Amino acid sequence: MANLIVFGILVLLFGSAIVYIVKAKRKGVKCIGCPHSGKSQCSCDDQVVNFKL
Amino acid sequence: MKIALAGNPNSGKTTLFNALTGSQEKVGNWAGVTIEKKIGTLKSKFNPTKEDIAIVDLPGAYSMSPFTSEESITRAFVIEEHPDVIINIVDATNLNRSLFFTTQLLDLGIPVVVALNKTDLLTRDQTVLDVKSLKERMKCAFVKTVATKTQENGLDLLIKEAVAISGQKQETPFQVPSEALRAAQYDAKIAETQDRARYDFVKEVVRSVEKRQVENRRETIQDKVDRVVAHKWLGIPIFGVVMWLVFSVSQTYLGPFLADTFVGWIDAFYSMVENAMGDSVSPLLSSLLLDGVIGGVGAVVGFLPLIMVLFFMLALLEDCGYMARVAVVMDRFLKRVGLSGKSIIPMVIGTGCAIPGIMATRTIKNERQRRTTAMLTPFMPCGAKLPVIALFSGAFFSDAAWVGTTMYFMGIALIVFGAMIVVRITGEKNKRTYFIMELPEYRFPSIKRAALSMLDRAKAFIIKAGTIILLCNALVQIMQTFNWQFQVVEEGMESTSILASIASPFAVLLIPLGFGAWQLAAAAITGFIAKENVVGTLAVVYGITNFIDPDALELVGGGGSVAEIMGLTSAAALAYLVFNLFTPPCFAAIGAMNAEMENKKWLFGGIAFQLGTGYVTAFIVYQVGTLLTTGSVGTGFIPGIIVVGLMIAAVITLMRRGDRMTVPKPEAHLA
Repeated sequence: MANLIVFGILVLLFGSAIVYIVKAKRKGVKCIGCPHSGKSQCSCDDQVVNFKL
Repeated sequence: MKIALAGNPNSGKTTLFNALTGSQEKVGNWAGVTIEKKIGTLKSKFNPTKEDIAIVDLPGAYSMSPFTSEESITRAFVIEEHPDVIINIVDATNLNRSLFFTTQLLDLGIPVVVALNKTDLLTRDQTVLDVKSLKERMKCAFVKTVATKTQENGLDLLIKEAVAISGQKQETPFQVPSEALRAAQYDAKIAETQDRARYDFVKEVVRSVEKRQVENRRETIQDKVDRVVAHKWLGIPIFGVVMWLVFSVSQTYLGPFLADTFVGWIDAFYSMVENAMGDSVSPLLSSLLLDGVIGGVGAVVGFLPLIMVLFFMLALLEDCGYMARVAVVMDRFLKRVGLSGKSIIPMVIGTGCAIPGIMATRTIKNERQRRTTAMLTPFMPCGAKLPVIALFSGAFFSDAAWVGTTMYFMGIALIVFGAMIVVRITGEKNKRTYFIMELPEYRFPSIKRAALSMLDRAKAFIIKAGTIILLCNALVQIMQTFNWQFQVVEEGMESTSILASIASPFAVLLIPLGFGAWQLAAAAITGFIAKENVVGTLAVVYGITNFIDPDALELVGGGGSVAEIMGLTSAAALAYLVFNLFTPPCFAAIGAMNAEMENKKWLFGGIAFQLGTGYVTAFIVYQVGTLLTTGSVGTGFIPGIIVVGLMIAAVITLMRRGDRMTVPKPEAHLA
């Protein structure tokens, strides 16, 4: 029983970490846990503007 | 409804944006912090309507005629996306400069309300503004604001005014015939004449509405301080002393004092979980939870107080205006070695995190300079590297402060040295560029802003520890527990584990650097996922639950134990630190390099350069350090010197090839 509980805790911890990372990546976060590391807020037009410079 | 925030650099746009939307975007007391537009939704407490209002923070611009990439973004947004209202943030203490851009915004026909920001400084400067006359002369609404204040900051009135004028036609105070505007697009002289006329108009308006008690031309205390702080020779040693003080407080005194309590809590939690599990849980599961998760993550998180103190102090330095002076001091060195004057901005930003630093390189127009800056910015020790610096400086050197300071200066030296090499390799003639940076006024730093910045970084640090570092440590623990047959490795046979077998070939290459143990190689490898992993992995592979002794305010066992467990001399420890700091950054930063460089040859060349730099520097540190401390060179000197010699020879060959590209052939002259 104790083994099951610990296994469950580990699965919960790793699962939560993986879900968080996947969600953040889908939102366009370039680096997990990096402040101001550039969420993908620009539209494609912005990319063109930046690229042309 | 869409409201755009536009104004000169460092007028307080992002501070206003954060106040209006509740965002936590990076602000800085210097120009050029915002490089791309940011979108947020107006807080309901400011919103007088029922519909959502989008607030767009635009990069700073002095003019609608784009000279910099930030100005291009601002111009493109205002002209192409046509916001409903523009809030033009104007520095009330410097109307002569700010209103030029205002007149250009008013020409667009989009309703404009001007936020007269920093009005609290007018009293200090003994300046009185006739806002009523200003409104009449400029034909638009003016609202006094102090974006940094939480109460009576004028933001309510500003938004009400903005909503009220939405949809109205905007008059322009400075009439330019449309034919003349068209002509100015093709003729620089006509454009210059128009700009001069516009400046004269602004000057005349300001003269009529502003009453100054203090002459602008008089030398202020700030000018006197700048003459010393931003002096071309004194500036560097002053920066050294400042950084030493910052590291002393954060890594030697206040930081460890706070870490003591914090690590005590982590230890107590570890013991509580250990006792709760007792012998009833499988050793595999218990070691994964205790050593892999709590021990590994706890070892990294234990450095949180040190990092928070450091970032708090760096935020104070930035907020008071000192970092802008450092940028000016460094600028002249960078320009001499072929970098853009603007290269200093990514590098200063890179001290927080390499990724936004690398992204900031996009404001550099010259392609080679932009790519070189993106390649060299990761040499500035970022926040993720601070736990590694704190661990090694505390564990191996009694006076920890000089180690951190030295690492920053070593990073700067490597950037300068690297730029000199890259300019030769690319064969491009060094073109001096000019970078005009407006120095912000010195001000008493805001404790609140510094605290918010610190908490923002602490939150990010905890998120990283709870996700990336947690998973990496668990993986390291599993790989260390099993061999390739997936049998549990017996005690004393750890070198047969999966982790050891993967790390050992790399460890051989590291013998000339003084750290040939597979554990250290494994930690360095996991550091490429996130640099904090170096600390976490070392904790897992050496079974150290915390690196900070809660009883003695010293690292485990008073500095000797960690060194003994790792089997490192002081020279080897310093070399290991240097290797981890100056080899390529984490994968996320490499991804940012890829995006900004837009060239695979540059990307792989850059990674190879970073790897070579880290290897050669660590080799020199270890071998010279060993020679100085023991009188003889360290282990692996001969193979190491061969590898380093080959790397240097390859760089020299590339530089010579670049030199041949730079020197024009005689035929070319004749032609």
